[in-house]
Amino acid sequence: MGPEKMKEIITDVLKDVDVVIGYKQGFDKLHATPCFINKAEQIEEIIWSPVCVQNLASFLPSLKAKKVGVVVKGCDSRTIVQYMQEGLIDRSKVVVVGIPCTGVVSVKKVLDKVNHQPIEDVVFEADGAILVKTPAGETKLSLADVSPDKCSTCLYPTPVVYDHLAAEPIKSVKAPEDVYKDVEEFEGKSLEERKVYWEKEFDRCIRCYACRNACPMCVCQDSCIAESRDPHWISQKSNLSEKFMFHMIHSIHLAGRCVECGECERVCPMGIPVNALKKKLNHDMKALYNYEPGVNPEDKPPMYTFSVEEKKIEEHKL
Amino acid sequence: MRVGVFICHCGSNIAGTIDVAKVAAEMRKVPGVAFATNYMYTCSEPGQDEIKEAIKREKLNRIVVAACSPRMHELTFRRTIEKAGLNRYFLEMANIREHISWIGLDKEANTNKAIESVKMAVAKAMNNKPLYSQSFKVNKRVLVIGGGVAGMQAALDCADGGLEVILVEKSPSVGGMMARLDKTFPTIDCSICILGPKMVDVAQHDKIKLYAYSEVDDIKGYVGNYQIKIKKKATYVDWVKCTGCGACMEKCPAKNSYDHFNFGVAPTRAINIPFPQAIPKKAKIDPNYCRQFVKGKCGVCAKICPTGAINYEMQDEIITEDVGAIIVASGYGLVDMDKFPEYGAGRYPDVITGIQYERLLNASGPTEGHILRPSDKTEPKTVVFVSCAGSRDKSCGIPYCSNFCCMYIAKQAILTKDHIPDSQSYVFYMDIRSPGKGYDEFTRRAQEDYGAKYVRGRVSRIYPKGKKMVVVGADTLLGTQVEVEADLVVLATAVTAAPGAPQLAEKLHISYDTFGFYVEGHPKLRPVETNTAGVYLAGCAQGPKDIPASVGQGSAAASKVQALFSKDMLESDPAVAKVNENTCVGCLKCIMTCPFGAVKEKELRGGRIVANVIETVCAGCGVCTATCPCGAIQLSHFTDNQLLAEVNTICQK
Ligand SMILES: Cc1cc2nc3c(=O)[nH]c(=O)nc-3n(C[C@H](O)[C@H](O)[C@H](O)COP(=O)(O)OP(=O)(O)OC[C@H]3O[C@@H](n4cnc5c(N)ncnc54)[C@H](O)[C@@H]3O)c2cc1C
Ligand code: SF4
Ligand code: SF4
Ligand code: SF4
Ligand code: SF4
Repeated sequence: MGPEKMKEIITDVLKDVDVVIGYKQGFDKLHATPCFINKAEQIEEIIWSPVCVQNLASFLPSLKAKKVGVVVKGCDSRTIVQYMQEGLIDRSKVVVVGIPCTGVVSVKKVLDKVNHQPIEDVVFEADGAILVKTPAGETKLSLADVSPDKCSTCLYPTPVVYDHLAAEPIKSVKAPEDVYKDVEEFEGKSLEERKVYWEKEFDRCIRCYACRNACPMCVCQDSCIAESRDPHWISQKSNLSEKFMFHMIHSIHLAGRCVECGECERVCPMGIPVNALKKKLNHDMKALYNYEPGVNPEDKPPMYTFSVEEKKIEEHKL
Repeated sequence: MRVGVFICHCGSNIAGTIDVAKVAAEMRKVPGVAFATNYMYTCSEPGQDEIKEAIKREKLNRIVVAACSPRMHELTFRRTIEKAGLNRYFLEMANIREHISWIGLDKEANTNKAIESVKMAVAKAMNNKPLYSQSFKVNKRVLVIGGGVAGMQAALDCADGGLEVILVEKSPSVGGMMARLDKTFPTIDCSICILGPKMVDVAQHDKIKLYAYSEVDDIKGYVGNYQIKIKKKATYVDWVKCTGCGACMEKCPAKNSYDHFNFGVAPTRAINIPFPQAIPKKAKIDPNYCRQFVKGKCGVCAKICPTGAINYEMQDEIITEDVGAIIVASGYGLVDMDKFPEYGAGRYPDVITGIQYERLLNASGPTEGHILRPSDKTEPKTVVFVSCAGSRDKSCGIPYCSNFCCMYIAKQAILTKDHIPDSQSYVFYMDIRSPGKGYDEFTRRAQEDYGAKYVRGRVSRIYPKGKKMVVVGADTLLGTQVEVEADLVVLATAVTAAPGAPQLAEKLHISYDTFGFYVEGHPKLRPVETNTAGVYLAGCAQGPKDIPASVGQGSAAASKVQALFSKDMLESDPAVAKVNENTCVGCLKCIMTCPFGAVKEKELRGGRIVANVIETVCAGCGVCTATCPCGAIQLSHFTDNQLLAEVNTICQK
């Protein structure tokens, strides 16, 4: 599937929006970067391939005042639905160009495979193979081997919300019960094992906040409680307990809101599997409230509703 | 910062299990504490004077009182420090009585816990900010929910005091349970004869607006300014035109309708006036039985009604009323017979409930006051009363005593003998509870003068045998098994909260206990108040009680409202949520969760959207503060930093 159909759609969409957000090539063929198109001549820059990893929907709340077209993959589209549920965007001012997606690459995984050599070229072949050229030679990879974990259990390859679709819809062949298999497996470990695991992971955290900044659902941005003195929940010390606290806050704030786009994990320079924590909470939210974020615009995130009696939480025994 | 700490002995309540002098000595070492002492009764006049003097002498600017629960004396001490010139929110209390001295016997452990608790209070006090109330106007109208004897008394007392009253009654007539009773203990005077005139007064009082067959749909606002939505349920009869002549009821062909007023002792018509003394005396159609509704054709009543009052198309109607205070007198319910499989679970027609028996005794009841068995309409000669049917029975989920059953059983035994002189009554009881004035004499009279046989023990089983019902029970005094062949069995079914009581409590934002009874402000000192300002309780809604107690509470609640309305302006509680507009990101999640609708959107001059709390509407519940991801909305007097200061005090060693 080439970007031609997408370009056609965007040419059309551009006529009645202020800006369209899509992908263009970054500093090499392995890296795509978001591009903001407001002139027809920019349309040629647009690319679409498995290197288009970023969740472009994340830009929408900050562009609330404008009419915006946005290119989204299936996973990214859940962000839009969640924004709708939380009232963070005005759907009538967003034109969604959906791309049915067969999987993206994890740049980290590819680089690992080619020993972090400079990338000279990346070619995606029709059979799903990827040819990566580096000064050391050519490496043939299969997409399945280098795609991020989220792709292996993706239930929504076709966007759950869109105005235009750039290709034929694709049905997911993944089993819904596999989505939280990793969480369930991890839960099977002892408390001590889990503690040791996370302490080791968090110890590497440099509190760069990249995970938070990339997260489409982290609405606070510059008002983040992790950097606030009033209230002063957490200090700026770089010790394990404060790092732990930061991640607990981040996770709790995303309970039943995380759309599992994996951006947090993708951007972490220290390779910390931060998305796992949010998945764990989503798993619990599903059990408690039968709620899955970002799939149905009519749903209400359970943490943003107030009901006197919760079905699965016993308070009054009447 | 100069904190003064006052540790109260509360006689031996606190000093008995806490070394108060040691706590005071430890506090003197805490940075910021300028003065610490212990005193016998801090709340006494000399105790309060000591605080005031210390504030002046030691130049104190924050005060910690370690004593009882703030529910008890926070207001007392706030006033004390205010008199000495401090902002009242500079007071912090440490509850070292209910939380420590009363619950542990180990003096050393208690003392250590008290030291930590008081240190926390000191940390909080040092972070306290001055807060100021706003004053606002009071709407001097009162809403009374429930037109039983308690609610009517409250309504009449308020109205006689010159207040406008809105009385909302769920059923078609006022009167409540008392209107169904035959005679009342301990004087055996006719219930409706003493209640009827009150009902008429309610109807005729020019200060009382009665909404019968109506319910409170929604409550918005706060003490002094409530907006109430009242749902007038469709009666299918235009009550302006209906004269209560009853012609419709006579001709209605749907003769097998359930009679709510008579608790189903006998059927009634689909269109009915509940009882002859009903106020308002108006007809209403029960669409569950009316042929026009069930079968789609009939129209008999519409044809017969001389004033053309019937309207099958009538819809529920919503009316809005503004009031400043609310009295809740929604009464009680009774447990269902099907809770008792051992008693036949409502399957035997000759096993009935106490309230059904009242209707059989009552001259205006379905049998015109003749006691007739439901099964064959014969006079019962042997009547067995079973007390505590459900009450004081943990297996039934009702551990409490229903308060008035022992008394009404004695009354019903006396009346049975009066009606049928050759009858014999048996009463199975657990204990006879008759502590009121003249009450014990009354239960003795039932036994001694009216020959009722009292058997101490629980009934284990009731089963039919020919025309009789066999009651099997234990006589725990004689240690034997007893069997009585009865013609009629009357169960004193347990009192429960009124149906829908928890839902009403949620609308009112008042607390209710596990059983659905409303919780009073203080079990001894604030029996008719709730912890929600402006909402008062009367009658059985708060717990089972007899008529004199219900009436007393009705009057008490009315006098509380009068006191509240004696001022034209009220002061708001400044311990409410506040938004820091600099850090609020305008996600408006707080709007979604505020159960009181107190948060609104606000546009700043640059066009930025932030949240804004309407101070008078905010109830200070703190739900929003737990919602806000960036801590931009904070509850004054309970800010994150104030609470963190407390937590850090005990966590950081
Ligand atoms: C069999 C029996 C015999 C008794 N005999 C005696 C006796 O001889 N002497 C004595 O002192 N006591 C007796 N009692 C107790 C007596 O019935 C109560 O003390 C009294 O009725 C309490 O009055 P109340 O106003 O609190 O409640 P209720 O009488 O229950 O009145 C409550 C009213 O509120 C209405 N209501 C309920 N919910 C709502 C709502 N959500 N909105 C609007 N309206 C609502 C109800 O329809 C009802 O009219 C007896 C009780 C029973 C069961
Ligand atoms: S927490 Fe991570 S996976 Fe979840 S929405 Fe944010 S960035 Fe995406
Ligand atoms: S991106 Fe990684 S290193 Fe940076 S704050 Fe998040 S978890 Fe820590
Ligand atoms: S939840 Fe917090 S940040 Fe969001 S609007 Fe309310 S106060 Fe502002
Ligand atoms: S504290 Fe917050 S949630 Fe509670 S009433 Fe006030 S504004 Fe609403």
